[in-house]
Amino acid sequence: MSALLSLENITTGYGAQNVLHGVSLEIAEGGLTAIIGPNGHGKTTLLRAISGLMPLRSGSISLGGLSIGGLRPDEVVDAGIVHVPQGDMLFPEMTVLENLQMGAYLPAAAAEAPRRLEQVFALLPKLKDRRAQIASTLSGGERRMVGIGRGLMAGGRLLMLDEPSLGLAPIVIDQIYDVVSELAAAGQSILVVEENAARVADKAALIALLDNGELVWSGAGPELMARPEILETYLGA
Amino acid sequence: MDVVIQILASGLTMGAMYAISTIGLALVYGSLNMLNMSHGALLALGGYVCYFAMSHLGLHPALGLAAAMLVCGVVGLGIYYVAAQPMLKSANFETQIFIATIGIGAIIENVILRLFGPQPTPQPLNLSGAVVIGTVHIPNQNLLILGVALALMAALAYLLQRTRLGRAIRATAQNREAAQLMGVRVGIVYAQVLALSGALAAISGVMVSSLSSLLPNMGGDPMLKAFIICVVAGLGNVYGAVGAAIVLGILEALAAYVLGVRYSFAILLLLVIAVLIWRPYGLFGRRQVVRL
Repeated sequence: MSALLSLENITTGYGAQNVLHGVSLEIAEGGLTAIIGPNGHGKTTLLRAISGLMPLRSGSISLGGLSIGGLRPDEVVDAGIVHVPQGDMLFPEMTVLENLQMGAYLPAAAAEAPRRLEQVFALLPKLKDRRAQIASTLSGGERRMVGIGRGLMAGGRLLMLDEPSLGLAPIVIDQIYDVVSELAAAGQSILVVEENAARVADKAALIALLDNGELVWSGAGPELMARPEILETYLGA
Repeated sequence: MDVVIQILASGLTMGAMYAISTIGLALVYGSLNMLNMSHGALLALGGYVCYFAMSHLGLHPALGLAAAMLVCGVVGLGIYYVAAQPMLKSANFETQIFIATIGIGAIIENVILRLFGPQPTPQPLNLSGAVVIGTVHIPNQNLLILGVALALMAALAYLLQRTRLGRAIRATAQNREAAQLMGVRVGIVYAQVLALSGALAAISGVMVSSLSSLLPNMGGDPMLKAFIICVVAGLGNVYGAVGAAIVLGILEALAAYVLGVRYSFAILLLLVIAVLIWRPYGLFGRRQVVRL
């Protein structure tokens, strides 16, 4: 099994402060991988480093064997990594449809846009009803759906979701994770960042625990749930 | 009745002229949070380039206008790469670029002064004659300005709503980081926005100078009014700026008729103060969240 995404010894940070201290991780093609850990310990920073929003201080990143470390964000998208950022970050004054179309902004994705739009509407039928609505008037759950749909429009090899459950009601969180599971089952490679281990334990093929900018444990979901001492030490659960 | 037509005609012309000078300013602020204080100097530059192309090179008026747009577009591009881009990452970008563009504006004005001298010069791109409605005379030049303004707004709306570049501009303005994650190269978008704004300033400069005359510092007054209109509309809101420009133009014409020309600008400012007390973020503006 060759890795789809491999991170080698990644270090990055803000100002004089390093946030990640040499993170190494390999993610296989297909299925769901989860990065869990307490808030403020570098999960979001890791995704930002992968998508090129944060410059690497050291280490390397490769996608399917091709080095993508140090590329601009648009080049990373073009290479096949799509980052759905925390808190939606929709284009607030655009309609749902315009937001989705922005996901297919790059020429390669634009050519596939009509077909992908059908797929997104099939997966998230609510968006089809709401397609003419201005994004800022949507509910939190709907916005999250638009964010995921917009990410899917790019047709990336790897979809990175930063805390898709953040700030949502439990029933909506379940809906979001149903969609994520459905995508993973269909063969889409997904890397999800999540604070609550229980939400991903039964779905993720691999769970990595990030604490204080370091990868402290990784393994299968059930394995993690069978280790209460890890959960207690790092997640206070 | 004739009075109403007269006020509407001159108000609409003024409003249309304000709108042309405002959209470039609003577009740049909306995209980059950059208050381009050299916008007025670009207006003057555009007016002079058109004059030079027509009077000294003997070019057709359309080519004169095209030359003005080209030169000002290139200067706008230069402003991005020389001043804006190096400062973009700074936390004090808004203040720094504000001051830097004041300097750039002064340089442009002084270059014009050295090349063309301080005397007022008539703008050769000018229609003569007038349309007569009853006892009201509406100069053809005013109608031209109205027509140009309408065409420009339609073209700009088409660009922003229907083209790939327009979508990239709007996306970048609404959420820069999200736009990057969609694959938009924001640096290129910013450069294009400044070039576009320069070209719009050129058209505005030609129109403004055709009603009065060319002077190196002729951009000051339209720039000030464009800034006021931007603030009233909500900084960075292009469509709101067009609406506010037209309304303020008509109000100014009305105030000039009722109270006299000397009070019209004062009335305008009074209105602006009232609007800002009522809605500090502008008529169509959103509450801005200041990020640290």
